[in-house]
Amino acid sequence: MVNGSIQNRDSFLDNIAANLKRSRRTSGVVKPQWKHAPQHEVYRNYSPDQLKKELENHCERIHTRYVETSSQHLPAALEEAVANYGNGLVCTWNDPRFSEYGLNPLMEKWETSSSLHVWNSVKGDENIKLAEQANVGITFSDLTLAESGTVVLFSSAAKGRAVSLLPATYIAIIPKSSIVPRMTQAAEMIHEKVERGETIASCINFITGPSNSADIEMNLVVGVHGPIQATYIVVNDR
Amino acid sequence: MMKVSLFATCLIDMFQTNVGKATVELLERLGCEVDFPKNQVCCGQPAYNSGYVKESKEAMKNMIKAFEHAEYVVSPSGSCVTMFKEYPHLFEGDAAWHEPAVKLADKTYELTDFIVNVLKVEDVGASLNGKATYHSSCHMTRLLNVKKEPFTLLNNVKGLEMENLENSHNCCGFGGTFSVKMGQISEQMVDEKVGCIAKTNAEYLIGADCGCLMNIGGRIERKGQPVKVMHIAEVLNSRR
Amino acid sequence: MSMKIGNDQFKKRVDDGVNNAFMRFAVSGAQERLRSRRLDAAEELGNWEEWRALGEEIRQHTLENLDYYLEQLTDNVAKRGGHVFFAQTAEEANEYIKNVARQKQAKKVVKSKSMVTEEIHMNAALEELGCEVIETDLGEYILQVDDHDPPSHIVAPALHKNKEQIRDVFQEKLSYKKTEKPEELALHAREMLRKEFLSADIGITGCNFAIAESGSISLVTNEGNARLTTALPKTQITVMGMERIVPTFEEFEVLVSLLTRSAVGQRLTSYVTALTGPRLPGEVDGPEEFHLVIVDNGRSAILGTEFQSVLQCIRCAACVNVCPVYRHIGGHSYGSIYSGPIGAVLSPLLGGYEDYKELPYASTLCAACTDACPVKIPLHELLHKHRQRIVEKEGKAPISEKLAMKAFGLGAASSSLYTVGAKVAPAALTPFMSGSSISKGPGPLKAWTESREFPAPTKERLRDWFDKRSDDGERKHSK
Repeated sequence: MVNGSIQNRDSFLDNIAANLKRSRRTSGVVKPQWKHAPQHEVYRNYSPDQLKKELENHCERIHTRYVETSSQHLPAALEEAVANYGNGLVCTWNDPRFSEYGLNPLMEKWETSSSLHVWNSVKGDENIKLAEQANVGITFSDLTLAESGTVVLFSSAAKGRAVSLLPATYIAIIPKSSIVPRMTQAAEMIHEKVERGETIASCINFITGPSNSADIEMNLVVGVHGPIQATYIVVNDR
Repeated sequence: MMKVSLFATCLIDMFQTNVGKATVELLERLGCEVDFPKNQVCCGQPAYNSGYVKESKEAMKNMIKAFEHAEYVVSPSGSCVTMFKEYPHLFEGDAAWHEPAVKLADKTYELTDFIVNVLKVEDVGASLNGKATYHSSCHMTRLLNVKKEPFTLLNNVKGLEMENLENSHNCCGFGGTFSVKMGQISEQMVDEKVGCIAKTNAEYLIGADCGCLMNIGGRIERKGQPVKVMHIAEVLNSRR
Repeated sequence: MSMKIGNDQFKKRVDDGVNNAFMRFAVSGAQERLRSRRLDAAEELGNWEEWRALGEEIRQHTLENLDYYLEQLTDNVAKRGGHVFFAQTAEEANEYIKNVARQKQAKKVVKSKSMVTEEIHMNAALEELGCEVIETDLGEYILQVDDHDPPSHIVAPALHKNKEQIRDVFQEKLSYKKTEKPEELALHAREMLRKEFLSADIGITGCNFAIAESGSISLVTNEGNARLTTALPKTQITVMGMERIVPTFEEFEVLVSLLTRSAVGQRLTSYVTALTGPRLPGEVDGPEEFHLVIVDNGRSAILGTEFQSVLQCIRCAACVNVCPVYRHIGGHSYGSIYSGPIGAVLSPLLGGYEDYKELPYASTLCAACTDACPVKIPLHELLHKHRQRIVEKEGKAPISEKLAMKAFGLGAASSSLYTVGAKVAPAALTPFMSGSSISKGPGPLKAWTESREFPAPTKERLRDWFDKRSDDGERKHSK
């Protein structure tokens, strides 16, 4: 890894301590036990089905198409969702789950008609160009937040950031088992990873539906710089 | 008999004596013995709010002394009562004045708060025919936290039809010296308030703070609108 | 100090604001919408006060230990190969950023919305070098295209513009040929900016919250422009106000929830992105080089003072959305990029009383802002503290007012002096009375009577009435 650098830190932080009328604190600060913990109450003890229901209910509010299927019917559901967005070039992560979920035949079909690009780090910037040209970006959801209808994506060499960003539309395949109540649980997971000294992804995206803006006369416009439409496909038996 | 000392407020003492009279008569009818500590002048708010804390403290000390022997201090002004509630904080660390300030703050009540929560009365036996709307003053609702008491009392006034005031959460633009220092902005704010009042088609505008009522009433009068401005004490004292 | 907008005096700015009918219509409509969305989002949770209390706790603890958390943050940024620059002043920050641009021989910079970069006037500094700096947030883009019109609201910067104005600007500057329909305007912006994202040398962002435990920075957005700004250019610079930091991901998610609900009533925005350092080995998008510029620019001088709580701010603009003064005068009237209640407290602190002494007085202290703040900053109390400072320490109050207040102090402290004054008042005001009102008052009453009637003092004060009653033997009064 490249070596980082830090400039001007001591004088800057010494100045902060001086204004706080004490000496510098460089160690020994312990986070207190917060007096309130309302975030843990949300959807407390909900079953996976209840969580899934919350997710489904929220999708309309976030202008996202919601589809439920089983792993057996996933290939058909995915093909339909892509057709619904007008087919064209599809861009996906290089993710073993595509194979695990029985999607190889579909991927091959797209491959044959030159309408598939699987993220391939060997190809460098070419990936970005292809993602830009793609009509549909497809990823799995690493973790899904029921309360806000959010898919959480962790980037890696095989899982480019651009796949869920550059194509005109976006489809997330959501295993039911990936659904947790809200961001609190995701944060806990990531926090524990950090505490264990693990390297966390360079980009963690919490994505809730398609892009939008209300900057013009406060009128909501769906589809600005990121994908213009989004579909979530929940796989019930995964 | 409950012994109540009236905290009249300088505005009522000089400009809105009817409100003071109504307050006294109402409290007496509800079974209180009312007195008027003569040395009271002003709670200090006008100077205090403009940042003149030193100057306002002399006025505050005068009030603390004036009400020293009172059992209950009741005032028909939410913002002035709020000022009294600030006294303990302002005299913190002052050996001579902090304790008396706390004592005063603890025994002071805004009128509707006193009637509903101390006297435990919700129907004062008043009657006033007509359509009315109520202006909730900012200090009374947000700083004193007296929100539903005025409505509780008004809903029991025979013949009175209450209309909801739109955008009631928006300040009327009085703010003491703000109304003259920032006259242009104040005018816009009071105009919006007067517009919302007009939309209710109410005959009466009722409020619990004389500053607000002077502000809104003054604008209503200038615009020649047919709305009668009444302090809630006058409404509750009304027996037509 | 380039927080400042324009050179007009306060009174003129207010006048301009009050007379801008479209802006006032837009602002009051936006306020209503955003206020009710925030209230709905809060009510949905059911225990909003607990969330606020937690938010306040987190921010206060962090500020009390700011040096510790900044050290932890930057150690972690460096461990991931990022470059950190601590900038005491705006100039230092801009120098560093310019150096990076020089090193990279950058020609084109894309930016996602960042108040702190406006504050330090970064765009101008880069433009001096010959860089093209492109705002990509739709609202900021619109303003930039429109000859750098300054933002008028922290979250919705182009609030003061209507869609016809935007269409006209796009037609003039961007060869736009379609209508004023927002979807079409947005689509045009998408097409124009896509090209820029793909060809930019440097992406510059602000930072909603830096996360100390991992050396991460986070961006809370809806449009996707911040993601593009950080995924495509090879170099990323993130500029953060030094107080915008949380200890761990656990506090991060709490504050994000407070932010999105308070700002726009959403449970989460479309994109919440946590970025840690440059790309990892093998990755092909994301920056190759990452710089974090941490800006003081007057913030440290607020620490340890009675104003420290203002640094708890998470820039949600909930206070702006409920302020009845902002409602009528709009953001530009504040003369600062930070407007509304937060602006009225912060601008004098960062920019000095000389330029901003009117702002703390442009308030009725109605406390709507304090009620709305998700991290419980006592904004109306801070406005009052400014007034106290202006009067006592800065000596910036007008002399006539000082004298009047001195007289008040004397008169209100003694009931006998008050009695004298009260006897004089009706006599002095008689010439101005007509019936029971005064329509054209003298002195301080003049400003009042310009738009309102003022009641004439009654012939008999309440206390005199009370006295008479007692003398009639019916009731007692105390001495």
